[in-house]
Amino acid sequence: MAELGVEIVGTPEEANVLLVTGGANLKSRRELERAYAVIAEPGIVVAVGSCAATMGIFKGGYAMTGPIDAIIPVDLYVMGCPPRPQVIMNALADTLHLTVEGIETLLHTPQGFRGDPHVDQGKCIGCGACANVCPAAAIEIVESEATRLVRFMRKDCIFCATCQDVCPSKAVELHSGDKPWFRRKDASTSEARLERRTCVACGTPFLPDAQLNWAMSRVDEKLELGAGDRGKLQRSLNICMKCRRNSISEVREAKSILASLARKASG
Amino acid sequence: MVWNQPDAKVIVYDPQLCTGCRYCEVACAVWHCGRIDVNKSRIRILFDEKSATERYSAVNCQHCDDPICCAVCPSEALQKDERTGWVTSNSSKCVGCEMCIVACPLAVPFFDAELKVAVKCDFCDGAPECVKHCSSGALRVCAREEAVRFNERLFLGAKEAQ
Repeated sequence: MAELGVEIVGTPEEANVLLVTGGANLKSRRELERAYAVIAEPGIVVAVGSCAATMGIFKGGYAMTGPIDAIIPVDLYVMGCPPRPQVIMNALADTLHLTVEGIETLLHTPQGFRGDPHVDQGKCIGCGACANVCPAAAIEIVESEATRLVRFMRKDCIFCATCQDVCPSKAVELHSGDKPWFRRKDASTSEARLERRTCVACGTPFLPDAQLNWAMSRVDEKLELGAGDRGKLQRSLNICMKCRRNSISEVREAKSILASLARKASG
Repeated sequence: MVWNQPDAKVIVYDPQLCTGCRYCEVACAVWHCGRIDVNKSRIRILFDEKSATERYSAVNCQHCDDPICCAVCPSEALQKDERTGWVTSNSSKCVGCEMCIVACPLAVPFFDAELKVAVKCDFCDGAPECVKHCSSGALRVCAREEAVRFNERLFLGAKEAQ
C-alpha cells in the first residue's frame, strides 16, 4: 500500500478517501454522515463489498436504512463478499490512476480468481437452477409470453460460483479476467433469452425449447428406448406440466408409456 | 443397466375401486410435511364426474425399472435404490433444475417452492401412508411383477398385452 502512496489514517478529517464497509443501519447512518461532512478534499467515497453497495443479505432488515449510496454519494463500488485485498487495491489504483513501477506484479490477480458471471446464450437451457441456488438473489428469471429471460445482475453477485457449479449445461462461467468494480451501480447484466414451447394440449407457452430438448438428448444418452416409446416420450414433452397432472386422458397416456417401458424391462 | 427384481414392492392404483376421497393425499402431506396441505402431496387423485368410463385417475410414482427422471438428473440427486427398487430424491444434492419434472411423462416430481428443490414419492421408507389410509383398497402394495402385469392390462389393453 505504501508503495502506491496509500496510507491508513486515524480520523476522517485527515482522509482523502473514505472506504465504507457494510450497509447503513439506523445507528451507523449518523456516523457515516458525520464522517462524510468532515472528510478532506477530494472526498472520494468507496463502497467496499456487496453489503455497502446493495445491502447483500441484509436487504429488508428492520434496522437497515439502505445501501450507503442512499445516504451519501458514492464514487466507486468494489464488489465481492468480501472483496479480496487485491481487488480493493486494484480498484483504487485503477480509479485514482495510481502508478508505480511494477504495479502489475504487485497487484497481480491470482490464478482462478473469480470475476463477473457470464451466461452463454447458445448453451443456456433456461432451467433456472442458477436462480434457485443463488444465495445473493443476483439471478432473476423473467417470463414473457414467448420467451424466458435469465438475467445475472452483477451488482448483486458475490462471486461464489454456485451457479457455475450447478448449471446442467455448463453455460455459466465466472471470468477471471474481469474487474469487479464500477463507478456507477448501473444495470450491468449478462442475459440469455430463450424461446418457450407451446403446449399442444392447452396452447399456452410453458418451458423453454432448449430445456425440453436437453432432457430428450439426455434420455437418448442414458436409456435405450424403442422407436415407439421414444416417439411417445417426445410427444409428452410437448405437453405442459399442468395438463400432464390434471387431465385424465394425459395421465392415461403417460401411464401407458411407463407400462410399456416396465414390460420391456421385466422381459 | 436394466434393473430387474420381481419381488420388489411397488404401489399400484386401481381406478375401478377408487372413490375419490383423497385421504391418500392428506396422509401423504401430513407424513412428509406435518401439515394438511394437499399441494405438498406426492400422490394426486384426479376425478371427472361427467365421464362415463374414466372417473378417477392418479398421478403416482411408478418407481420405474429404468427411471427417466434419474437419467436426466444432472446432479445425481435422484437415485434408484438397488436393493429396494425405490426411486428417491436426495434434496441436499438437488439443484432445482426441474429437469426430472420435465422429463417424467406423468410429471410426478414437483417443485417445492419453500425448499427450492424437486420432491417426489419416496415410498415412506417401506410402508406407504397413502396405502395405509386408502379406505377402498384402490391403492395397494404388491410385487413388481404383478404390478407390471396389472398396469399392462389396464393401460396397454388386451390387444397390445398379448
